[in-house]
Amino acid sequence: MSGMFPGFLILSAALFSIGAVGVLVRRNPLVVFMSIELMLNAANLALITYARYTHTMAGQVFALFVIAVAASEVVVGLALITGVYRSGRRLDLDELSEMSE
Amino acid sequence: MTVIFGIAAGLAFLGALGVVLSQRTLYSALSLVVNMVSLAVLFLLLDAQFLAAVQIIVYAGAVMVLFVFIIALLSPGAEERVRPLELRMLLGGVAAVVFTLVIGRLTLNGITVGPRGRLHGGLGPFAPTLVNAHGQVQTLGEQLFTTYLLPFEVTSLLLLVAAVGAVYLSKRRRVGQ
Repeated sequence: MSGMFPGFLILSAALFSIGAVGVLVRRNPLVVFMSIELMLNAANLALITYARYTHTMAGQVFALFVIAVAASEVVVGLALITGVYRSGRRLDLDELSEMSE
Repeated sequence: MTVIFGIAAGLAFLGALGVVLSQRTLYSALSLVVNMVSLAVLFLLLDAQFLAAVQIIVYAGAVMVLFVFIIALLSPGAEERVRPLELRMLLGGVAAVVFTLVIGRLTLNGITVGPRGRLHGGLGPFAPTLVNAHGQVQTLGEQLFTTYLLPFEVTSLLLLVAAVGAVYLSKRRRVGQ
């Protein structure tokens, strides 16, 4: 069982990297939000992996907090996106680079 | 065990790639669902049954339904001009590989876990067999309401602020304001 420890961490690193690149490369704000979710999940995987293999509970507790933070972030973010859409602008982050109002 | 890990890890990886590489937003969302469910399986492998359930309920249930709902509402069609072989995608791929290697190297560097592990402070009191004997949810709940009481209460405040913020942001404003 202990042999899978590096596997979990490498997978977590890979998922986090893919999410980070998604945030940088994609221009659709919805996909950017999904990439952020990907990164938060990768962090959760690392937290739970460490909690399991160090026999502590802190990782699981903080993974629970991360899930709560991610949920509230999605709510606010999607409300922002609908607001931008309703103001008649295209959903393209390159064109929304000035958050002026 | 290892076979399940391989399947779940592969699905999680492919799902993550699908989120970033899909041309259509809805396909990204569905790939994210695959990724979340595979991660829940991995959580089960890590003896975190409660978090696996929370992962399915909160992410695959609530968050993804919200995403799909917004996608259906806004229908942001094929607005992306990014092609998989475009320069920024290639640069992004290279950056992802480098970043993975750097993080993997840093996290694995000098950390060995096991009977002769070198983790600072040694192993904690929550061995998986003990936790499962006492009850996973009971142990997590006790920790949450004793050691981590303050962060727990702050989280409730955060959820309240998020709810108020969402209501404020989605409120229809009159023209000219």
